[in-house]
Order: sequence, then structure tokens, then C-alpha cells
Amino acid sequence: MEERKFVVIGQEFPRVDARVKATGEGRFVSDIQLPGMLYGKVLRSPYPHAKILNIDISEAERLPGVKTVATAKDSSRKKFCLFPHLANNLILQDERVRYVGDQVAAVAAVDEDIAEEALGLIKVDYEELPAVFDPEEAMKPGAPKIHREENNVAVHILRNFGDVERGFSESDVIVEGKFKSPAVAHCCMEPRGCVASFDYYGKLTVWSTTQTPHVLRQELATILEIPFNKVRVMRAHVGGGFGARMGIDPIDAIASILSMKSRKPVRVVNTREEEFISSRIRYPMAIELKSGAKKNGKLVVREAKVITDNGAYNNQASTITGNACSKLSQLYAVPNIKFEGFVVYTNNVYGGAFRGYGNPQITLAIETQMDELAERLGMDPAEIRLINANQPNTLTASGCEITSCGLSECIHEVVDHSGWKTKKGKMGKGRGIGMAVMIHGGSGVKAYWGDNCNFSSAIVKMNNDGTADLFSGSGEIGQGSDTVLAQIAAEELGVLFEDINIVSGDTDITPACCGAWGSRQTFTAGNAVKYAAADAKRQLLQVAANLLEARIEDLEAKNRKIYVKGSPERAVSIVQAASTSYTHLGTPIIGKGINDDPWSYMPDPKTGYGNVTSAYAFAAQVAEVEVDTETGLVKVIKLTCAHDLGRTINPLLARGQVVGGVLSTGLGYALTENLIRENGKVLNRNFLDYKILTALDVCDVECIFVESNDPNGPFGAKGVGEPAMIPSAVAISNAIYDAIGVRVSELPITPEKILKALREKKG
Amino acid sequence: MKHQIRLNVNGADYDLLVEPRKTLLDVIRNDLGLIGTKKGCNTGECGACTVIMDGKAVNACLVLAVQVKEKKIMTIEGLAESEKLHPLQEAFIHHGAIQCGYCTPGMIMSAKALLDKKPNPEEGEIKEAIAGNLCRCTGYLSIIEAIKSAAKTERSV
Repeated sequence: MEERKFVVIGQEFPRVDARVKATGEGRFVSDIQLPGMLYGKVLRSPYPHAKILNIDISEAERLPGVKTVATAKDSSRKKFCLFPHLANNLILQDERVRYVGDQVAAVAAVDEDIAEEALGLIKVDYEELPAVFDPEEAMKPGAPKIHREENNVAVHILRNFGDVERGFSESDVIVEGKFKSPAVAHCCMEPRGCVASFDYYGKLTVWSTTQTPHVLRQELATILEIPFNKVRVMRAHVGGGFGARMGIDPIDAIASILSMKSRKPVRVVNTREEEFISSRIRYPMAIELKSGAKKNGKLVVREAKVITDNGAYNNQASTITGNACSKLSQLYAVPNIKFEGFVVYTNNVYGGAFRGYGNPQITLAIETQMDELAERLGMDPAEIRLINANQPNTLTASGCEITSCGLSECIHEVVDHSGWKTKKGKMGKGRGIGMAVMIHGGSGVKAYWGDNCNFSSAIVKMNNDGTADLFSGSGEIGQGSDTVLAQIAAEELGVLFEDINIVSGDTDITPACCGAWGSRQTFTAGNAVKYAAADAKRQLLQVAANLLEARIEDLEAKNRKIYVKGSPERAVSIVQAASTSYTHLGTPIIGKGINDDPWSYMPDPKTGYGNVTSAYAFAAQVAEVEVDTETGLVKVIKLTCAHDLGRTINPLLARGQVVGGVLSTGLGYALTENLIRENGKVLNRNFLDYKILTALDVCDVECIFVESNDPNGPFGAKGVGEPAMIPSAVAISNAIYDAIGVRVSELPITPEKILKALREKKG
Repeated sequence: MKHQIRLNVNGADYDLLVEPRKTLLDVIRNDLGLIGTKKGCNTGECGACTVIMDGKAVNACLVLAVQVKEKKIMTIEGLAESEKLHPLQEAFIHHGAIQCGYCTPGMIMSAKALLDKKPNPEEGEIKEAIAGNLCRCTGYLSIIEAIKSAAKTERSV
């Protein structure tokens, strides 16, 4: 990897869309208003499990202002899932509903109130069926059967690396525990929405709050049985994603069906209540973990059993549970691993990707036990982590090929910056400090439908004034990918940041990309953009070589100039080269790039062995807390976070990812967030009762970047989006233990649970 | 039955016929086309629809349009003077206080109502002022810094 002085990389450019967002000019999906547009609403099941005997839509259809009513009869009834072999969900249910909020019918009307009124006129005869909400209950014989599987186990995962029995017999110290992670709502500030417009070209144009525009196009085309080129997913600002908007939501297809039926544009936007009852959630997991180590602190063995609440339909629980498994051997060098995972249907809403993808759940268990092992061995928690931390260029027990790795450096950084050595165990009554570390894919993952599930492509088109248009199929959802990708293009092309106009997400004009998930946009889309810019640059250099009568390999492009290396006075401007290309090159300068992620591959389907990720991101975080032992209230004072992101493309945006990840999703995950459900009904279905944190609840965050310079990352960079929140909750939990000597192993760590743990400790 | 009302929004008068149950938020967005004011919950819990009404930050989803007679409303669109952005907008841009941007207009309006009353707020007062504006992206720290910085700029003008 070349070490060179960057012009654009490393600069704190504000987001490219910051001005339109600051002035209110930015158009989000729910702002889109088309001539003649109708408003759609979805009729959802009030029962957690029931047969649909009959749906009578006649009265609803007669209501003035109603333009169309759709049921399963109007859809292809093609079952969908990101993993086609697991598909068992329908856009509109035809025979059975399986959770409260399941979609049964939909209406399009001239205004929202009429659509709402029409929902009340649809008569559905249900026959209620017994339901089950706890996955462990659902696995028992005689439990209500939700799909065809007798024990409701949708997916069973078994992984074995090394020899676990020998591992435990060789261990000097063994710790065991049970951990629980709740259902957590994404709470994107913009509710999920879709505007669909089907016209007489036979073309469906869709604006959706999606983080994966090209995947959405593929799924819509498949479900609606039309070719890809008859579906256009358009670009709009997206008010947050965090994983919830990976892949299709039923309302994307519902809006499309309503538009196809009515031949009018239709907008469907969830209410906040619908967001809480029917949107994706973080999969709840119950984890049993047992770890063994030698006297010197070296980890020998880990055995885990995970039960994941799949909810009513298959979505991503199989890979999320698999991802939890992979952390057992990735984070630390552990030679012997056994993992058993059960993905179990219940009559709860089905989950989806959520920042961390199963990793925050398992990291809670892993990092709690690292502290417990340290305590048993009389070691400093930082020391035991350093002893076991994976190092660069390591092949793990499960086949992961770790290339760049700044884990040890991250630990050293947080130790230094947090004052760890003077504070650990010495902070006095009610105060404590705790640490946790993590590994996560920083480049997406190959674990979905096949080897082509983690690619990205881009096009760079030179304009004759020396500016360039960059087309990327990526998904900008607020994380900042448009800005980072524009920086990568500018650096590679040798122009300035403001010379790049990025167009992302519009599937008619951008080349395909798998979108925003897996912290992959910087690395995976970034590489595609870099290759496309390099291709355009080669063409520019060819023109310049003729003009300068120099050899192309002697030329360099930087700061809008192309010059002969070593003699910068022999130069032409990029404007000159670009404009000359139009008359002299005989072809427009269009650079193309594709990154199909050649460094990773699908794991062996039987054993799970394989390098599913090209670049791994690492982090260490230290939390400082104060616990009121009278009320049980935990106050987090400070979080010190060191993140190995390979190379910081834009420190302003990278800090935004870390601080935002830690405080917005991490702190709430640790302390307050939990969808409370009773018989399948979400009780806290608004922001008063479901507690995401406010400005009054946040704490100081110190953010340190470790640049490990990944050999395959664009300019050495890898992802940072998800890693930010992964270790926060367990760092806080470990700090609470340091403060008051009790552990709460079931998130969120509420005052009630703290007080209960304190009472139990007293005996 | 629809009511005839006159709304003063961003310095301009609008004569409108509105149903009595329509909220100020719906009228601003749908009748006036001022889409900068966002709908996040429609129940007064998220603050995305915050506008300034006679100097006070209010959730436009909790105000009926017919209640707003004789009052002056300012929305996010009323802040910038053509090309020149308001110091709060500039500060939000440069402090990385915007990510997805859905909470941004409401957040800026809450901050403006604060600074109009209190040009030199303490950090605690800033937090209080935006406590009703939820953000799921930033963790608020960059927003708090942006407001501090804008307050400084405004005082120096």
C-alpha cells in the first residue's frame, strides 16, 4: 500500500447533502408529491395467529374517494426473503396471519383520512389459532406450529472447530453464563415509506426509504414478475436505516400493487405506531456461553448455544445467528469452538438487520466472560485481552483471514486515554470503569444468496470542464457514503472534492451495488469508485501523454493537473485533457469499476469454515459509570472509544459514525431500549413509552482513530458504521460490575434489574 | 365545514380554507408546500415538526391550523436569506450535526427559539431546549456543539 500525501482523503468535508438538509430543501420519500397521487394504507392483523376465512372489501370499495383495494388476490403470491430457499413471507397474506401487524389488505384513496376510513370497512373473518411468543416454548413438543416445521426451528446451525472437549479438559479456569438481548426497534426518524408510480410504458418508478436500491429493484421485479428494466428505484433522502431498510419491506410492494391497479401514483408511509409494531427489529437472542482459559490467560475453548427469536417469517436470522457464532473465534485467538444456534419461529414480528448484526448480542457474552476470566486469574481486564487479541495476518479457527488488525493498538489507546490504570477498581463507592472490545466485518460479508452478494460497481464520467460525474449504486441513508465516495473519486482522479458530482441510488442510471449494509460502503463501494476513477484517469493520462509528448507511465494527476513525475512544470490541466479528449480521443472518457470482493468467499455450507469478509474492523471502548445503589440508576459519565477503521477518509463523518453509534444506538441498547410485548402486542408503541435517548441523557465521548491501513481497502480504509455500537453495552455492564460488584446479564440494564441484583448479592 | 383562516408564515400571509381538524403541520406541508417541516410521529413526541410560533418552539402536529389566527409562524424555510444561510444552519453543516437530516429542521428551529431568547445559553439550557427533538443518528453531541458555535457567531455579528 502506497504511503503518500493525500489531497482529499483525510479532509473534514461537510456532507455533500448538508446544505439541502439544513435548509429544509432536501426531499425525503414522505415529501414526494406527484400529480394525481393517491394515499395508501395497510390493514394489519389484530391477532398474533389466525386463519383468514374471508375478506370482504365491497363496502370499502364503495366508499367515495377510494380508488382501489388490494388483497393477496391482486399479488403474485410469490414468497420473498433475501435467502430465496427460506422464503415464506407474502406481500399480503392469503390464508394465515402470524403476528399482530401482519399485512392483510391495502387501500388507495384520494386522501389519507378516506384511506384510513376504508380500512375500517374491510371485513375480515378470522379464526384465531393458538400462538406462541417465547422461542424456547415454541421448540417444545405440542407448541403451536407456525410454519411447516414441527418444532418451529427454521434454521439449525452447528459449528465445530478444533476439539472442545479437550479444550475444556486443558483449561485451568472455566466460566459459564446466560445472557439475554431484547427486541429493539430501529426508530429511524423518518417512518418507512414508498411512493410508487406505474405508467403506460409499463414502467414502475419507486421512491423508497431503502438502504439497498438495487436489491430492492431486484426483489420488486421478482415479486411483481417484471424485468429489472421495468423497475426504477429512485433517489431520495432517507431518514435513517440502521439495517431496518436492507431489502424489501412489504409496503414497497403494496404501494407498487396499488399503483399498478389504480394506474395512479400511490404513497404509503407508516405511522409511527406501525413502525413500532410491524417494522424490523433487532433479533432477540438467548445465549449460553462457556469459556475456558489457561493460567497464563490464554483462551483455549468456547462453547455457545444461541436461541434466536425469528419471529413470524424468515428474513435474516440465519446469517445474524451465524455472525454471532463467527465472533467466538474471530475476536480472540481461540483454537476450539463449538456453536449451536436455533432460529425459532414465534408469533412476534420478524426481525432484520440492525447495526451490529448479531454481534452486540454475542459480544455481551464474550466480553463479560473476558472480565470474569481476568478476575478469576487475578489479571487486569486489559491485559487478558491483549494476551488473546488477534494480530494482523492471522488465520482463525473458523477460516477467517484477518489482514489489517489494530485491535491491540485500540486497547492501548483506550487504556491511555481513559486513565484506566489509575481508575480500574479504585474509583470509590458507586463508580466504576469497564472495557470491551470487538471485531466486525468492515467490508460487507459473503453469506447471502451466493458469491455475488457483496459487489459494487461505479462509473466516472469526465465533463469537458474538468469536473466529473460519479455514478454509484450505493445507498446513502445518512451515514455519509456519498461524501466519502466523492472524496475517494476525487483523490484517485486528481481533482478537487468539489469537482465531483455524485449520483447514487437511482437504479436506472447507476450500475448495480448491493447497497448499504455490513459497514461495506467505504470499502466495497469505495473500491469500485476508486477503480472507476482510475480507469477514467488512465484515459485522461493518455490524452495528456500526447499533449506533453511524454510516456503515460511517467505522468501523475493531482490537484487538477497532470504532470511529468519529477518535473511538475511539464503539465497540462485536467480541464485541458478532459476537453481535448472530446475532439482527440474519439471516445468520451467514462471510467468503469467493479469490486466483486475477490478476497472473501462463501463459507462451506456444512462446516461454516471460510473467510466471509475481506477486511475486519476492530474497536476497544472504555465506559465510566456512576451507579446510584438506592435507585438503581446508572449514569454513564464518559465513553472512550478507539476504532481501527484502516484509514480515516473523513474525520468529521467518521466521528459522526462513532459518537452517533455509541450514544444513539449503543447507550440505549445498554440501558433503556426494549420492545415490551404481551401476547404478541407491542405495549410501548410510541416514543413516550419506548425510550430512545434524548440530548439530556447523553455523555461525553472521546474518539480515537487507529489507522491500520488495510492492504485491500481504498487508500487503506475499512468500515466503521456498525462497530461503533457493538462493544458499548458490555463496556457499560463491565463498568457497573467495577462500581457495585453485580452483573445484569439481560439487557437493558434497568434500575429494577440493578436493585434486584444488589438484593440477591446481599442474600 | 371548512374555515377561512389567514396564516402568517415566514413573513407572508396566506388565506386558506381548512377543515377544523387539520393540524398546522399538515397545512404547512400540504397546503403551503413547505416540506422542510417533517412528520416523524404526528403525536408530539419526536419534535421533527418543530416550528416557531410567536417566538416559541412548538410541535406543529399538536396545533390545529384554525388555532393559529393572528400568530406569526416561522419554518425552516424562513431562516436563510436567499444564498446566505442562518448561522445555525452553517454551524450544523460544519460541525457534522446532520446525518440523515430528518430531525434537522426541527432541531434547528428549537435551537433558534432558544437563541432568540437567550443569546448566550449554558450547555444545560441547550440540552433542555432540544430535549424534545429526537435524533437517532448523531448522539446529539455535534448538535450541541453546533448550537454553541452558532450562538457565538450570532453574538459577534
